[in-house]
Amino acid sequence: MKKSKAVISLLTASAMTVGLMSTGTVAFAAEESTSDLNVMLETPVQSLDPQQATDGTSFEVIADYTDGLMQMDSDGQAVPAIAESYDLSDDGLTYTFHLRDDAQWSNGDPVTASDFVFGWQRAVDPDVASEYAYMLSDIGQVENAAEIIAGEKDKSELGVTAVDDKTLEVKLNVPVSYFLSLMYFPTFYPVNEAFFESCADTFGTSPETTLSNGAFVLDTYEPAATEIHLTKNADYYDADNISLPGLNYQVIQDSQQALMSYQTGDLDLTLVNGEQVDQVEDDPEFMTIGAGYLWYVSPNISAVPELANLNIRLAMTMAIDRESITTDVLKDGSLPTYTAVPMQFAAGPDGSDFSEDQEKFSDVCTYDAEKAADYWAKGLEELGETEVELDMIVDADDAPQKVAQVLKEQWETALPGLTVNLTVEPKKQRVEDMQNGTYEVALTRWGPDYADPMTYLGMWITDNSNNYGLWSSEEYDSIIAECTTGDLCTDAEGRWARMYDAEKLVMDDAVIFPLYTQANAEMMSSSVTGVDFHPCALNRVYKNAVKSE
Amino acid sequence: MKKYTLKRVLTSFFTLLVILLVLFILMQLMPGSPFNDEKLNDDQRAALYVKYGLDQPVVVQFANYAKNMLKGDLGVSYNISKNTPISQMIQTRLPISIGIGGLAVTIGAIVGLLLGLLAALKHNTIWDSLATIISVIGVSVPSYVFALGLSYSLGFRLQWFPMLYKANNAGMSSVLPSIALSMFTMASIARFTRSEMLEVLGSDYMLLAESKGISGSALIFRHALRNALIPIITVLAPLIVDLMTGSLVVEKIFAIPGVGSLLVNAIQSNDYNVVIALSFIYSAMYIVIMLVVDILYGVIDPRIRLAKKGD
Amino acid sequence: MEKSTAAENVQAAYVPVESDFRLKNNAEEIGIDSNFAAQSFWKDVLLRFVRKTSAIVGLILIILITIMAAIGPGMNGYTYSGQNLNEKNCAPRVKALEKFGIFDGNENFNTSKGTKTINNYEEKGLTDVYYWFGSDNLGRDIWTRTWSGARVSLIIAIAAAIIDMLIGMSYGLISGYFGGRVDMVMQRILEVANGIPRLVIVTLMLLVFKPGILTIVIALMLTEWIGMSRIARAEMLKLKEQEFVLASRTLGAGSFFIIFKEVLPNIIGPIITQVMFSIPTAIFTEAFLSFVGLGIPVPQCSLGSLISDGFNFFTTHPYQIIPPIIVMALLMLSFNLVADGLREALDPKLKEM
Repeated sequence: MKKSKAVISLLTASAMTVGLMSTGTVAFAAEESTSDLNVMLETPVQSLDPQQATDGTSFEVIADYTDGLMQMDSDGQAVPAIAESYDLSDDGLTYTFHLRDDAQWSNGDPVTASDFVFGWQRAVDPDVASEYAYMLSDIGQVENAAEIIAGEKDKSELGVTAVDDKTLEVKLNVPVSYFLSLMYFPTFYPVNEAFFESCADTFGTSPETTLSNGAFVLDTYEPAATEIHLTKNADYYDADNISLPGLNYQVIQDSQQALMSYQTGDLDLTLVNGEQVDQVEDDPEFMTIGAGYLWYVSPNISAVPELANLNIRLAMTMAIDRESITTDVLKDGSLPTYTAVPMQFAAGPDGSDFSEDQEKFSDVCTYDAEKAADYWAKGLEELGETEVELDMIVDADDAPQKVAQVLKEQWETALPGLTVNLTVEPKKQRVEDMQNGTYEVALTRWGPDYADPMTYLGMWITDNSNNYGLWSSEEYDSIIAECTTGDLCTDAEGRWARMYDAEKLVMDDAVIFPLYTQANAEMMSSSVTGVDFHPCALNRVYKNAVKSE
Repeated sequence: MKKYTLKRVLTSFFTLLVILLVLFILMQLMPGSPFNDEKLNDDQRAALYVKYGLDQPVVVQFANYAKNMLKGDLGVSYNISKNTPISQMIQTRLPISIGIGGLAVTIGAIVGLLLGLLAALKHNTIWDSLATIISVIGVSVPSYVFALGLSYSLGFRLQWFPMLYKANNAGMSSVLPSIALSMFTMASIARFTRSEMLEVLGSDYMLLAESKGISGSALIFRHALRNALIPIITVLAPLIVDLMTGSLVVEKIFAIPGVGSLLVNAIQSNDYNVVIALSFIYSAMYIVIMLVVDILYGVIDPRIRLAKKGD
Repeated sequence: MEKSTAAENVQAAYVPVESDFRLKNNAEEIGIDSNFAAQSFWKDVLLRFVRKTSAIVGLILIILITIMAAIGPGMNGYTYSGQNLNEKNCAPRVKALEKFGIFDGNENFNTSKGTKTINNYEEKGLTDVYYWFGSDNLGRDIWTRTWSGARVSLIIAIAAAIIDMLIGMSYGLISGYFGGRVDMVMQRILEVANGIPRLVIVTLMLLVFKPGILTIVIALMLTEWIGMSRIARAEMLKLKEQEFVLASRTLGAGSFFIIFKEVLPNIIGPIITQVMFSIPTAIFTEAFLSFVGLGIPVPQCSLGSLISDGFNFFTTHPYQIIPPIIVMALLMLSFNLVADGLREALDPKLKEM
């Protein structure tokens, strides 16, 4: 318990100092940008309803014009936004947020605590069926959230109350060490109830049906639009520090068109396809940005007898040349990954990356064709077979198909007697097959929702709906329980160490074959500075961005 | 003719109803679910099915949908743009697709007709070969290669036209996509015009017309082309519908917010209502155009008597 | 000029003189007794076909491409799926030609910092490696892939086109011939089938069944017959009230006989033209499916999937898209030339102008 207090106070302190810096000083206020920032989007926005949105693009646009209690600073730490300050009770179970007085919606209404209550209640409302409802229940551990989602309690019983207009009180089931970092996640954003009701069912489908309390105001948008425009919000409480006069999004699905548009100066920031990296890699405007996603192969351990054999699984994971996949095939800066939790998104109590050491499981996960062949021979012997044929399901996108073809080749070359057939499907179909358990091997990915290894480790507990291979280990389940709701949830360092143990179980059993941590190759004009990139929650934040001519 | 037209209009209406039913059944056959996102749990999924009425029998769903449709309510999108009324999505997108498609049809039909005429009239000369080669290239290179080629040369290198569709510059930015889209139509029309014109020009009544002393252009346009038009219209009609309802490929490359890419995305993400609504609009357009074509046949060629009874 | 003067003179009650008339220059055809010609119709067709140079060129090209599709993939040591990531993105290089400065493995590469010439063979020390058409982004031989792609595309296109022809033609002819209620019902069925966007049906097929050549052929078959039936019906409507049909019916011929023996030979021209269009349509539809990721499953390839793969290198390594496009264009050109030749050969009515 002592330790926990120290951690909490440390968090508080850092949050407060950064908060001071961003609000108090004018020296930080940047030079004025003269024109809009033009940004390329790969996919259209799916929803501008913060409690319905699930994809990175939607989150990014929503966060452009909406502030939550906290926001992300350039290092991904939570710093105050609408909440000026907060108190945490000694037992770590009650957060009291004090909202700032000068925050207001673009229709003139002040942002109040009840806006948050309304938003959060929507998130857990079974009628809304928000995909990210579990952010409040399993992840955030907000009181009664799980029961409300399951329909056992009314949404008014959610552990969040507006004490007065500017004070919001949140009650948790157990202390959650990363709770503040959830506050910048759009599911936790406020919604103005009166405005929401006035839009009826059309909330978030046009500029007229959105309300801003953030740095920008949405002024051009249509459902699934290819062009989106936002203008600086003059009434934003921190407007002095916003340099950009506006943001201009252009959805471009063809990467060659995107690069050409960038070269003619129509775009300031664009994604580059791995194939084009050769073309631009010497350019100082070229960069690679970690995207957080872990790509991995999921073997269906429970349904395919060959894959139930540990030696076969170890052989398969060791036959993969991950280095070659990232440098020769993807070329976008993705990092070969040998751990079940990807790199560069979760910093521990000492500030180091959870998965920085990529060799910690090198006895079970590395590239070693000889060892792989040995395991393979042993596995085949145990099975009494000489030939194995496996079907691998793959998304019908460009990169997964390329990776799958290389995997097939690497496996078939290193492991005699193995035939891998590729089945290419739209993503929805692939997910469906995995959920139904009607697959043998799948190439899949998982993105971190919050900056804690649990966003991955939570997947492999028994009966988790995303534990597609139906792997089950009592030891593992108990470690995870310990770390989420048990004794360790207040002991940051102890928890961290136990999560290593859990990850080791997954790796030793080759429950998944991790491949790489995705990165995005991007071009950003040299006239632009201050765009913050993050691997989780909000991928890009423009509050500090400056575009000079 | 009037009675025939009325009858056709009525049957078209019933055809549309049947199509709607077939679409509903097809959606049921579609594997997957609109709500299988990895982060939803089973309870939530069930709740979503109830919310959108997908838990009910197809017949009930169909009845409800048809009823709402008569009121102009096409339902909401499940995935592509969550909970957005589809009528709202279509309102903004369909005119864009129709505009670009219409331009493409016009370019394709006019250029194709001219090329075909040229080839037929100058049969077995260098002009014929040239027209043939142009039209063959049109059918043998996929439109996305054309699209990117045009964008690279006229958009990027020469900067004559915008590379991407811009709502505030719809005219200029429609040019490249329309040309890319029109290639296939142009080629098809050119080839059909050529072969039909050759046949007509070789027929006896053309000999008769010629021997009656009817001269050059009148001969070709009044007599020959008119007779060649029926098969040409037959080929053109479905192409018009295809082009008007957008093309995924061209929309993807030129970043056009049209309905073609919407349909493909909807199919791949099991967004049933969007698939049904867009397919239905496609069907309606198709049926209307077929109706017009059938009636046109009679106008162009008096020998065709569609309404004749006891045949 | 002659024609226009003639036209003016008609009005002026002009008495025609000899120079006003032109001989049609068809003495040879008139000279042949058509009673005898009937027995050697196909010989006649062959003769007319052979006389047409372009058709013969087309036929030779089709045969050549077919032969290459059969033996091309085996002509060097590579396989269509064999990868060598160390030898990826190599430009075309041919042993005999490299001395002349072409096919020497050099490629001009547009970077954002200007153009540079690179040679992956030299950079990687691959002195004795020759990729005739270059290698793709996974180090696979484009020569081998192009010809195996041509093989797959030919199989898909021809199978689909023949099935379409059989189904669509019969459907259209029957519908057009019987007219009335039969036509009404058949056209409504067709409208329903065609009213549903092809894409919905094709995608559904591919989602329900395992993707592969057979599934694609079936999917194409289900959607492509409609165009053919419409042509056949339009032609039938045009022909069925003509004298020879009436004559045949008067002589007691049955419907089946009239449709397939009397009318069909007369409309073979448009039908063949349409078949020749179904071939590119079939290849295109397959290419489109590849484009949305539902085409022939990787690592197999078709011309369409090669083009849509190479498309991503259009601005970086254009040589990767050129071979499949050229083969596809040649294939289409040849099918069209042959179709034209056949059509003119089959249709003696068609006068040379």
